[in-house]
Amino acid sequence: MERKTSRLRAESLSKTFFDKKGYFTAVADVSFDLNDGEFLVILGPGHCGKSVLLNMLAGIEEKSSGKIFYEGKEFSGVNPEIGMVFQKLALLPFRTVLQNVELGPKFAGEDKKKRRVRALYYIELVGLKGFENHYPYQLSGGMKQRVGIARAYTNNPKVLIMDEPFGQLDAQTRYSMQNEILRMWEIEKRTIIFVTNNIEEACYLGDRIILLSQCPATVKETYTIDLPRPRDMVSPEFLELRKMISDNTDLAI
Amino acid sequence: MNDKKLKKIYYILPFLSIGMLIILWVVISNKNSFLLPTPEMVWARLVKLFEHPVKKTSLLGHSLASIKRVMIALVFAWVLGISFGILIGWNKKCKALFGSMFELFRPIPPIAWIPLIIMWFGIGEFPKVIIVFIGTFTPVVINTYTGITLVDKINIDVGKAFNGSQMKILWEIVVPTAIPSIFAGIRTSVSSGWTTVLAAEMLGANKGLGFLVQRGWESGDIPLVLVAMICIGIVGAILAILLNAAERWVCPWNVKQVD
Repeated sequence: MERKTSRLRAESLSKTFFDKKGYFTAVADVSFDLNDGEFLVILGPGHCGKSVLLNMLAGIEEKSSGKIFYEGKEFSGVNPEIGMVFQKLALLPFRTVLQNVELGPKFAGEDKKKRRVRALYYIELVGLKGFENHYPYQLSGGMKQRVGIARAYTNNPKVLIMDEPFGQLDAQTRYSMQNEILRMWEIEKRTIIFVTNNIEEACYLGDRIILLSQCPATVKETYTIDLPRPRDMVSPEFLELRKMISDNTDLAI
Repeated sequence: MNDKKLKKIYYILPFLSIGMLIILWVVISNKNSFLLPTPEMVWARLVKLFEHPVKKTSLLGHSLASIKRVMIALVFAWVLGISFGILIGWNKKCKALFGSMFELFRPIPPIAWIPLIIMWFGIGEFPKVIIVFIGTFTPVVINTYTGITLVDKINIDVGKAFNGSQMKILWEIVVPTAIPSIFAGIRTSVSSGWTTVLAAEMLGANKGLGFLVQRGWESGDIPLVLVAMICIGIVGAILAILLNAAERWVCPWNVKQVD
């Protein structure tokens, strides 16, 4: 196997919240490597600190302890090379699709013409051509998440973090969005961290799956998946893998 | 086809209620025209008002005098109130510094300020504008503040994730998100502005719709009171329509959602 270069490395990341009543540990001692160009899935039961872990990687949440290395160098704070797709979409209701998509470059002060060309390219890539001037409330759930994905891509990040992006979609839309995300990953090679609580989704998408435990989140097991894409969700190999992970998963309450 | 019928009914219904009100008015006033003047009496009084203006000012002049006071006060209340609301909503230190002071002044009705204001500034235009300002500043601040604090944390996280500075997050994300609340404050401020200007005018003015109400009351000229009241109603309704149009124009995403 070829030697892979590490894009991002988490070393003993922990997060503890304090309040008047005491403290609560959401993430405990999580370490992993993210290889360049990899599709890494982080799988864990509901409300086990996955979002907290991601927010620490993106620099939105401060870490209690541990280190983050980006391309071998220690990094803290918001990393402009990391893009986020949010679970709750978090589109700005008062901005059109186009304005939402070009938010990142606008914040970075990029030239209007340049950022617009890129925004339009990604809007087309996610299949929303013709909807540039719509407001989010005029779109369906799946279309809204496409906007969220285009917004993350337009910021030109090297690493894309997707926090349960399809959690709020119906099953049908979810399947089509999974294929969509793989298609985009093939066209626009980025390193992706994809978080989900859905085992089937994890097995369908990932090069590698990191299974987290129930609260506080720790790394329970790592699976490398060698099945070729597109994967068949009812092939014996797929079902076997799915069962193996399923048996090893903590039940969410 | 049923749709068209349904739409028509929405144009008819408002007139229906106004028509009923007028019928009720006619019936009651014909029983006792001393307690409630008939529409004919009010109409006659309106015509007479054009022939013999009160204090040499036409009805339009009186209306404009009130509108001017309200508008000057409102412009200041909007600019200062929105700024102050954003300040205490966004900056925790400012909230700690000014918050309790504001809470202390908030429950004092603007009319309670009238004696002090008259003592300090006399009975000219300026004191009336100040009183209206006091009455309109508060709702703007409260609604702006609430709107700013209610902005979903995830929207702020988006700003952070895209490396936005605090200022950019405030102006590009937080303030626009709060605009519907700010508009609610503006709408409340318009109605409380009218309440206050009437009170201020009734206590000492020689122009304005509040003055007309007071004059009619003092001289037992109840039709004049009604003329002034109807005028206030019409001006208020026009302002509300203008505000709605402004809101539609400023935040199209919000209004369409409600429809």
